[in-house]
Amino acid sequence: MSTGSVDPAVSKRSKGFLIKIWHAINIPLAAVVLALLIGAIILLVSGANPIQAYVALFRGAFGSMTALGRTLEKATPLVFSGLAVAFAFKAGLFNIGAQGQLLFGAMIAAAIGFGIDGLPSIIHVPLALLGGALAGALYGAIPGALKVYTGAHEVITTIMLNYIAINITDYLASGPLKDTSSGNVLARTPEIMASAKIPSIANIPLGFVLAILMSILIWWILSRTTLGFDIRTVGLNPNAARYAGIKVAFTIILTMVLSGALAGMGGAVETQGVVGRFQPGFNIGLGFDGITIALLGKTSPLGVIPAAILIGAMKAGASQMQFDAGVAKEIVDVIQALMLFFVAADVIVRKVFRIRAAGEEEKITLSTGWGQQ
Amino acid sequence: MSKKLFFLLSLVVLTAMLLASCGGGGEADCAQDDVFCVGLVTDVGEVDDKSFNQSAWEGVQQAEKDLGAVVNYVETKDAKDYAANIALFADKKYDVIVTVGFLMADATIEAAGKNPNIQFIGVDQWNDGSVANVTGLLFPEDKAGFLAGALAAMMSKTGTVAAVLGTDLVPPVVAFKEGYEAGAKYINPGINLISTYHPGGADVAFTDPEWGATTAKQAIDNGADVVFGAGGKTGNGAIIEVASHAGLLCIGVDSDQWETVPEAHPCLISSAMKLITPGVFDLVKLAKEGSKPAGLYFGATGLASFHDFESKVPQEVKDKLAEIDAGLQDGSVSTGYAP
Repeated sequence: MSTGSVDPAVSKRSKGFLIKIWHAINIPLAAVVLALLIGAIILLVSGANPIQAYVALFRGAFGSMTALGRTLEKATPLVFSGLAVAFAFKAGLFNIGAQGQLLFGAMIAAAIGFGIDGLPSIIHVPLALLGGALAGALYGAIPGALKVYTGAHEVITTIMLNYIAINITDYLASGPLKDTSSGNVLARTPEIMASAKIPSIANIPLGFVLAILMSILIWWILSRTTLGFDIRTVGLNPNAARYAGIKVAFTIILTMVLSGALAGMGGAVETQGVVGRFQPGFNIGLGFDGITIALLGKTSPLGVIPAAILIGAMKAGASQMQFDAGVAKEIVDVIQALMLFFVAADVIVRKVFRIRAAGEEEKITLSTGWGQQ
Repeated sequence: MSKKLFFLLSLVVLTAMLLASCGGGGEADCAQDDVFCVGLVTDVGEVDDKSFNQSAWEGVQQAEKDLGAVVNYVETKDAKDYAANIALFADKKYDVIVTVGFLMADATIEAAGKNPNIQFIGVDQWNDGSVANVTGLLFPEDKAGFLAGALAAMMSKTGTVAAVLGTDLVPPVVAFKEGYEAGAKYINPGINLISTYHPGGADVAFTDPEWGATTAKQAIDNGADVVFGAGGKTGNGAIIEVASHAGLLCIGVDSDQWETVPEAHPCLISSAMKLITPGVFDLVKLAKEGSKPAGLYFGATGLASFHDFESKVPQEVKDKLAEIDAGLQDGSVSTGYAP
């Protein structure tokens, strides 16, 4: 964050804080506005009514408690996968493998969920969650170790590991762990026990509350602990970190382990809170969306929350939009892509909205994420 | 200047929005007795997929034309949204809701239980008849596949025929494949069959034309000269690939793909059709008349016309196909497929 730019004469703490917040959100906010405007033009050209479409989109996402619950439900796994990607970014690692880690987390949580009977919820729910997190952590450790010991770039290895995860979990769901109850011909695991399910209270999924808590925990680790300092230093400059006595190899592996654990926990929450079992195809895209979320949230552990809610809202509202306005749902994907485009190419946004360049530190954080070392 | 540009842009958009919002039309009230509303929820896929979802949607559109129905559709993008998408129509008190695709069976039966006054039609969905307002529209795909296989075997010069298929997670695809292979062997017991299922989950298996094309290419490299593409856009990818190889033949699926995939004209001799459009329309009509059956309803299957290949398919092949078709109808020819 750009702390150095505040004039000491007006450095009342609250004002400095607001400026910090503004610097953190101005680009994403402007990108969202710009993306919606261009989306409106596309809607107009395609013959639809943009106001009707956007009103329907909003209504489908926030128009009722049910709609809000669905938005938060969609946002929950995205907070986790966004956190996973953002966390790895801080150490200069680009974890494309959140999808694979999430899949294993979802699968193991399902296995613990249906495989163990007779536990009280208070034990069964965290057990399955931790199982999912552990699965993701182990799967995240692989690219970390490969990077440290062989120099294999994590972008390549995590992409490959995603395919391995997709196919292994598909195999498990259609083979050894398949639901064998009569009448089932689908590839899916049995339904998890009621004691392993994460409920919603007044339409608010408790998984979402957990996601918020994890975001705060990760923010605390990164900004208030020695480990967080090590991670950020490795991300900024691995050579300097090594010179300063930080164990770079250990930090990289640990970062990938924790990143994988976050993604895995996201998969577990999805299994326990939404799907109720593992079913191939039900988790597709959640990990990949994490990259969008992390960038939109400017790789900040707290920034991923509004980013995930935004994308979750668009996913939840898309059906209502098509129903009311007859707009193809792909427009939502287009708008999402435009948002990401403008966040990544922030020069355009700065030009259009005349936003001053951010402090140096912030720039570095993003750019080292893209495969230095 | 950039500020001006932005201002101008906003102005244009806002004016356009205002103009557009003036033309808002009235919404039909489906809760009224004299307004007959039919909604359709697609499986993961689009209403213009030139195959399965499109055929069902055309059945609903026919209801709009012939029965004066108010119609609307929602496409499913995420398999977790089945229930929410059905609820969009149920909340508006639609009279009939058509859900397309095997994977939506559970969500359809659940929604039907919650909305006893709404009639549900589940295309490709098996049910045990316990929920009175659900009808599963099924097709004997193995019979259509059998005819396609027999045609392929009779037209093949290399003695190798292929099938590029959506996933085996979906029983109708398995029925097509088993029927196809049985039909080919019925003609030529020693025929070489290359059948490949898409390895991905049901959410991607029907929307992967690149995989379909690659797989068709592999089959061709291995000597196949007739390729059956059965699996939404994946199958379309396969037959379009075949069309780029001179002299080879392909067979489409679900609907008459001569109409829907013109790129495949150079190779498309026929399609193994499920007559989804008339099946959906008939059920919607029965629902309107209040006589839609509970449980299962079987639609018709058959081969599409040969179109440009009419003159290239020998008369004895046509006679044999007619003979097999009659045999399948009266039970003297069996596809050997038991679901």
